[in-house]
Amino acid sequence: MTENWDQIGIPARPESPRRDGISASAVSRRFGQVHAVEHMDFHAPAGRVTALIGPNGAGKTTLLLMLASLLAPDSGTITVDGLDPQHHSAEVRKRIGWMPDTLGVWESLTAREILTQIARFYQLPKAGIPQRVTAMLERVRLSDLADQPARVLSRGQQQRLSLARALIHDPSVLLLDEPASGLDPGSRVELRVTLRQLAAEGKSIVVSSHVLSELDEIADAAVFVNQGKTVRHQTTDEASASGRRYAISATDGTALAAKLTELGLAFRVEDGRRPAVSLVLLNDDDAARLLRDLVLAGVGVSSFAPASGALEETYMNLEGERR
Amino acid sequence: MSELTDIPQRPAAAGFGAGYLAGIRDVVVLELKQRLRSRGWYIMLAIWFILTGLVTWLTWASWNAQREAQRAYSNFMPPDTGPGSMIFEVVLAFVLLFALLVAPALSANAVNGDRAGGTLAILQVTLLRPGQILWGKFFAAWAAALAFLVASTPFLIIGVALGGMTPGHVLVALLMLAVEVGVVCAIGVGISALAGRPLFSIVVTYLAVAGLVFGSLIAFGLGTGLSQGTIMANQAQYRNYEQLRPVPDETVAEEPAYTCSGPLRAQPTVRTERVAWMLAMNPYVVVADAIPYTVRVNSGFGMSSPVGAIESISQGARYAMAGPEGTYPCANGEAKPQYLAQSTPLWPLGLGLQLLLAGLLMWLGWRSLRTPAHRLARGTRIA
Repeated sequence: MTENWDQIGIPARPESPRRDGISASAVSRRFGQVHAVEHMDFHAPAGRVTALIGPNGAGKTTLLLMLASLLAPDSGTITVDGLDPQHHSAEVRKRIGWMPDTLGVWESLTAREILTQIARFYQLPKAGIPQRVTAMLERVRLSDLADQPARVLSRGQQQRLSLARALIHDPSVLLLDEPASGLDPGSRVELRVTLRQLAAEGKSIVVSSHVLSELDEIADAAVFVNQGKTVRHQTTDEASASGRRYAISATDGTALAAKLTELGLAFRVEDGRRPAVSLVLLNDDDAARLLRDLVLAGVGVSSFAPASGALEETYMNLEGERR
Repeated sequence: MSELTDIPQRPAAAGFGAGYLAGIRDVVVLELKQRLRSRGWYIMLAIWFILTGLVTWLTWASWNAQREAQRAYSNFMPPDTGPGSMIFEVVLAFVLLFALLVAPALSANAVNGDRAGGTLAILQVTLLRPGQILWGKFFAAWAAALAFLVASTPFLIIGVALGGMTPGHVLVALLMLAVEVGVVCAIGVGISALAGRPLFSIVVTYLAVAGLVFGSLIAFGLGTGLSQGTIMANQAQYRNYEQLRPVPDETVAEEPAYTCSGPLRAQPTVRTERVAWMLAMNPYVVVADAIPYTVRVNSGFGMSSPVGAIESISQGARYAMAGPEGTYPCANGEAKPQYLAQSTPLWPLGLGLQLLLAGLLMWLGWRSLRTPAHRLARGTRIA
């Protein structure tokens, strides 16, 4: 999954003066005594996929609810394409597509009916609704199930329906709360492609997820949050530049260890299912050089691959710092 | 629907009148599509129809049996008015009872049920305004409840067909039943927007309905105990009872059966008019009082008394509302009519109070649906 991680280029995106994405500055929100979000800063520029990463209860969903204009921050400001949700709620809502972590489908309605209703609620021109709905159903590959009641859809299919629902009014900002949970691998790849396409169209996309290897391939940048605070903001390029861990296993473990010691590299022996060592390499060139050295030295390398995604590396480091 | 337009929370309607209504209609369509596809609703409707039919048939059968018995054992023949009035009253009381029981079930999980299912936030994030969501839910719940009234219409019409009643009675009765069901639906929808859990809001709505039906009676009863007062009255001189005879002249009926004389004295009495408004809030009182009945003439025994349950309820409530000033014999030295005319209806007051309560709950519910939300009820997640 991670081999092609560096092949993702930032697509050229149409520059539009009105589309400057969604941002929050110093937002706070309390629920009773619980500070769900405290002075959090967040920015998701247009044409990019921004990941929102953090452990359970870090305030991700609360932040997304505030960004979706459902929840008012106690303090701080949120702007969507330069507009404040408190005062221009209709304008803001036309621009926001929100896919919640709860599925929320009307079970007795068909996929087509649900999308038609939502299109009406967004006051799309009536004449165009059937075509728009059909196009959305095709986009999420639900055309075959369009006239089945939503209750017969599987979780993954409901998830895709939820994505279509969030996209029905062609929003410029897309907020996705755990979009990949419950999706099979094929659908995940598809979601990735869809999100990259949408970003290429100039939309600002926010994805919250735990599946970090997933985000490596989708996200251009990541905002790490924990305990209601923004912990770090970095692009995936920066994340990879800070080095990542590679796992190496060889037919003869001692020869591998000896060679690595000879090269003066710090490594650690992993206690996984297969005997392997892991070490941090700064960039792809380093990795290529090490592999060549090992092979030339006659070490029977049986696998040589990144042990974790770049974002996962940062995440785990943050976890470590916290302890 | 015009009777609800004065509920205070309707947002300033200028500017988006047609669009606002279109949004409500879309929500109603969404709600009704779901309700029409649930089998439980049809089953309840069928049970309702069968039960109402059974009650109608039993009432008719028991009236027939009673008549047979009277014919067999005595020479006394009651005035032949037919069973219409009786069937009508029993069916009406039954339909109102069941409407009051069904309406909370249809309305009191409208908003928090969606919240639990995660579909409310999906509506809130669209261009729908909180008022549109709430009104849409209300009209959908009301429409679903009205289907039950429609199912019972045949039996009310049977009451007319068997004699004694006019189509006007059925129309007024159905209209008032529809309004009462609407009030309960509004209370249910309002509470469902306020309460976190569907079970809780359904129970609270049932309690609110019980409060209107039984609580109003209890409150009135307890309230009268606290409403002791006095009234200036003098002596009533009742006519000689031997003179009582069937009087065919209708004008005599309006005359009281006594004359007043002597000095005015303070007499202890209960000022029921102070607490009668509580009685007026009772749905049975509202419905019974709104249904027209002909002002009773002397029934042939010198005394006029209400006939039938509807009339009794209405007269009783009006008697309480009039208070001793209007009903105490010789209050202020004036003879009082035995029978209060229809010119002082009570139901507008009762219905007004009910609408006030429903409007207040709907307004509070509307407040809780506004987004971006500032305050959330304890323990609720918005999505």
